[in-house]
Amino acid sequence: MKKIILLLITVTIFMGCFDLDNNLYNPSKISEYKLDNYTGDTDFHLDLSYRIPDSLVHIFTLASQSSDESSATTIYAIYIGSITRIATDTVIMYCHGNKDHMDSYWTRGELLANTGSKNRFGVMMIDYRGYGKSEGESSENGLYADVDAALKWLKSNGLSDSRLVMYGFSMGTAPATKIAAENYSMKPKKLMLEAPFASAETMIQDASGMDLPGDFFTTLSINNGEEIKSVSQPFFWIHGEADDFLNIDTHGQVVFDNYSGSYGEAHRIPGANHKTIQTTMGFQSYMDVIEGFIRLH
Amino acid sequence: MPQMRRLTNIRKNLSVNLRSLLFYLFRNTVFLKIRLPALAITCCMLSSCAPMRFVKPLEKNQQAANLSFGGELIKYNSSTIPVPFLTANYGYGIDSALTGFASVNITSALFGNFQMNFGATKQLLKQNIYFPAVSITPSFDFIYRNKNAAKFYPQLAINAFWEYGKKNNLVYLGIDNWFELASKKAYGKTQENHWFFMPAIGHSFCGKKGSFTTEMRAIAPNLSNEKLVVEYRTPFGTNGAFGVYIGYTRKF
Repeated sequence: MKKIILLLITVTIFMGCFDLDNNLYNPSKISEYKLDNYTGDTDFHLDLSYRIPDSLVHIFTLASQSSDESSATTIYAIYIGSITRIATDTVIMYCHGNKDHMDSYWTRGELLANTGSKNRFGVMMIDYRGYGKSEGESSENGLYADVDAALKWLKSNGLSDSRLVMYGFSMGTAPATKIAAENYSMKPKKLMLEAPFASAETMIQDASGMDLPGDFFTTLSINNGEEIKSVSQPFFWIHGEADDFLNIDTHGQVVFDNYSGSYGEAHRIPGANHKTIQTTMGFQSYMDVIEGFIRLH
Repeated sequence: MPQMRRLTNIRKNLSVNLRSLLFYLFRNTVFLKIRLPALAITCCMLSSCAPMRFVKPLEKNQQAANLSFGGELIKYNSSTIPVPFLTANYGYGIDSALTGFASVNITSALFGNFQMNFGATKQLLKQNIYFPAVSITPSFDFIYRNKNAAKFYPQLAINAFWEYGKKNNLVYLGIDNWFELASKKAYGKTQENHWFFMPAIGHSFCGKKGSFTTEMRAIAPNLSNEKLVVEYRTPFGTNGAFGVYIGYTRKF
């Protein structure tokens, strides 16, 4: 009995010492970006026709600082395209998912850059803090600050709101939606979400089958299902019907249904899983629907 | 001598490997971040945080304290592990056929949730040679984090059990049931599942003062486990989850 009481006292002392927030992030650190030469885990491979010339690949660092931080964090960014064209052309800000780093998403960036024609669009990518070569620890506020740092850089190079397209994949849909909905350095003209999640609460309720509050498990306030209600820009949603990670009906469809802006476009892709939309559709079909939306309006 | 040297090397290697393993566990599991695949631990709340509390009531005025460990089997990296749920339980024999109990979920507490279970086990039938004894256990689970996050789950377990051998070891078959009372869930969507049933089989080795219990249970085998952030490992394929538990009970 004494042992049980001692155990309970110990538990009380340590009550709430752990949290699950960090489970959202799944970064890995690297010492250099290899891009086309990367041999690690990628969702698909592209042939040489999609290669980006070295002269159009710019790797650099940015200083990212959220409002609650006293100092900046150095993060890594890649801009695909000619920097001189930023002042006159459309740029896609690509927010990657929760796994690994920019090398893993490089082929996705190449597809977007080659949408429409060879090296048609400028694409901006970053590694959130804690990912790849970026310094610091992953955090929710860090996600928003890091993407905002990229937007500041684009703005300083002449990009206007009317030529900015925000694209988010999986976890990257959180900063993409947040920045489209709220006041940050730039206000994107259009929002594109690939396999978005609605909220951590939905993940929990899907997994448990019960109506469990999200607060039991996380203090993350990411909620695309609510945030999308404040998005008025044209909105593009694409999601695999066979997504076995973020259920299309409980996540993506909720986000799309809650959108009430000027124009919404939904693409439910039969047979596609969380990471296989591009390969299931075929690269050209995928790029065609992307281009169709970007050229709209 | 060469054999001695070989033995010493083996011992050294074992020691190094054990240290590496402990370091790996320390670094990658509970003490650092509990890096279960995205929110996998959430599933634990699907009732099976603990095995059956009491299958057979205590003697009148007898007390018992119990610790149990285990949960649903999930995929963790390339391995299969049970969700690490630790529950402490206290029971008191109100009379020889009725035991009241209260338990606290220690793992939930470590994550900042106050989760308790209160209930009673009533024996309805006595064992008649091969015909099993039967008990029923109504209880409720209360989980509280803040005023916006509190839940109440009624439960009802029914068990058939057989005692055998000189030490009155016990084998049992039962069904635990959880009831979700909410009609809506996130974004105002309809809460479709209100009844979660869990067939279980367990065994207790009984000593003079204590008993050691193992239990397996199928959790909500009627529900699909596809398209979730959690990858359950279960013999039932794309349905439900499968939980394994161990527990030790000390009577006094």
